[in-house]
Amino acid sequence: MRLDAEMPFFFGPDSGLFGMYHAPAFPPRRAMLMCPPLGQDLIRCHRLYRQLAQALAEEGMAVLRFDYYGTGDSAGDSAEVNWERCVSDATTATAELRRRAGVDRVIAFGARLGGSIALTAAERARFSEVIAWDPVLEGERYVAELDAMQAALREDAGRFNRPRSHSDVAEQWLGFDIGETLRRQLSSLRVAPANVPTLVLDSMPASPDPRWERIVSQRGKVATIAPPTPWDDLDRLETAILSHPLIQAVTGRLKEVA
Amino acid sequence: MMREEAHRFGRARHLVGIAGIPEGARGETGVIVLNAGLVHRIGPFRLHVELTRQLNAAGYPTLRFDLSTLGDSAASGGQLTRTQQVCADLDDAMKLLSERAGCERFVLFGLCSGAQNAHVVAATDPRVSGAVFLDGYAFRTLGYKLRHYLPRLIDPGRWARRLMRRAGGAPATPKAAAQPIFAVAPAPREEVIADFTGMVGRGMKLYLVYSGGISNYFNHARQFRECFGKVMNHPAVTTRYAAETDHTYILTGDRARLLDGVGGWLSRNFPPASAGRHS
Repeated sequence: MRLDAEMPFFFGPDSGLFGMYHAPAFPPRRAMLMCPPLGQDLIRCHRLYRQLAQALAEEGMAVLRFDYYGTGDSAGDSAEVNWERCVSDATTATAELRRRAGVDRVIAFGARLGGSIALTAAERARFSEVIAWDPVLEGERYVAELDAMQAALREDAGRFNRPRSHSDVAEQWLGFDIGETLRRQLSSLRVAPANVPTLVLDSMPASPDPRWERIVSQRGKVATIAPPTPWDDLDRLETAILSHPLIQAVTGRLKEVA
Repeated sequence: MMREEAHRFGRARHLVGIAGIPEGARGETGVIVLNAGLVHRIGPFRLHVELTRQLNAAGYPTLRFDLSTLGDSAASGGQLTRTQQVCADLDDAMKLLSERAGCERFVLFGLCSGAQNAHVVAATDPRVSGAVFLDGYAFRTLGYKLRHYLPRLIDPGRWARRLMRRAGGAPATPKAAAQPIFAVAPAPREEVIADFTGMVGRGMKLYLVYSGGISNYFNHARQFRECFGKVMNHPAVTTRYAAETDHTYILTGDRARLLDGVGGWLSRNFPPASAGRHS
């Protein structure tokens, strides 16, 4: 691995966005923007995103990983995370990736809310394709799940010696301050289909209800990844999410459409 | 005003970190933050980002970075043991902060395995003037066992449940085994005490903060003294037991109290010459 091919840097408004650019050995023909999820999922997926970026760079793609404003190493507090700003940051990052890689064709990848952001930004950022891994499509249900996990966290005997007060856990989701704006934005979120080829990688637990039809009916398809990913398991909240099948699925897809 | 810089650095350019440099902070004590477990440099729930920015605002240069093979850092390609590699990585980190902000002395901050790694370097490197150990080395003492088991022995409800089970009543509900996310490998107690004694002997300041999240081997403020003896009474040592918090400070109020404690300890022991010039 060429270490200098992975360069950390700041970019964007006031140089406040953190990025890690993975340059391939030869001039690339296409590039991938990796949109991270939010909250604890971002931390849990960090290793996997790096592994996937390295695998893609070895296949000749330029790759940019980055953090939205208020997340990771980027400027801003956790309470300032804003959905519109995340989508706008993804667009800013795409422009930075095009400039660095010298290509126009950019594919976006994202896990959970990262997939939702990639789908939402697809038109504005002119992605040629979106690969979304278990994206969140209906925000209201997702917010209810986070609220339920936060309520369970309050009395998690594996974590605290005594249950904590309601005020101790208020206005937070699983380790992060949540602003009223983000809560409102996510509560009303309904991700629309992207007008580009879309691949949904599904590793959610089996469900009798159709999950993805709404966003893949026109220009998309769904591929299943096993085993299911434990996104919502409070006992594994601090366990990294690693998935060799996910890396194989993404690299395989990109070979198909090379 | 402060700025954050992204760096790839180290003897093999294998390390990645973010330096926070307050304006005009030349020659101040630098604070270096080590990985907690396998979490990358931002720390559990972004603890390290919040910490370093708060310290930057108080005038301290900081570096949060990934040790070899963790986060975005690669292996150095050398033939070093893990301990030697940690020392080499910290040497690289101190050199970087020295170049960027003129730091000559350093405070190390580590949670769990980060505390263990900080301990190893603090025990051997004269440039380290202080350390903040969160849930670092500890031992189950007699006091721990009495505090842990005695209340259970005299709890009639517990005995009643046990007798019920014996009599074929309601089966015990099996609790899923805890996932070992973070762990501090044990070291001989005498060795740890000798290290602490050596550290304060050469003028280092220590801040030990242990949480309720390690109640399987630490359960009272008195246990600092029970574990490490009279060196814990040395004026250079400050201890705090935060029984209510968890191991990784998942609640933002707990994190804020931790960071205020660290900031206060730093300002008392390493007052920045440029204090008051920063906002």
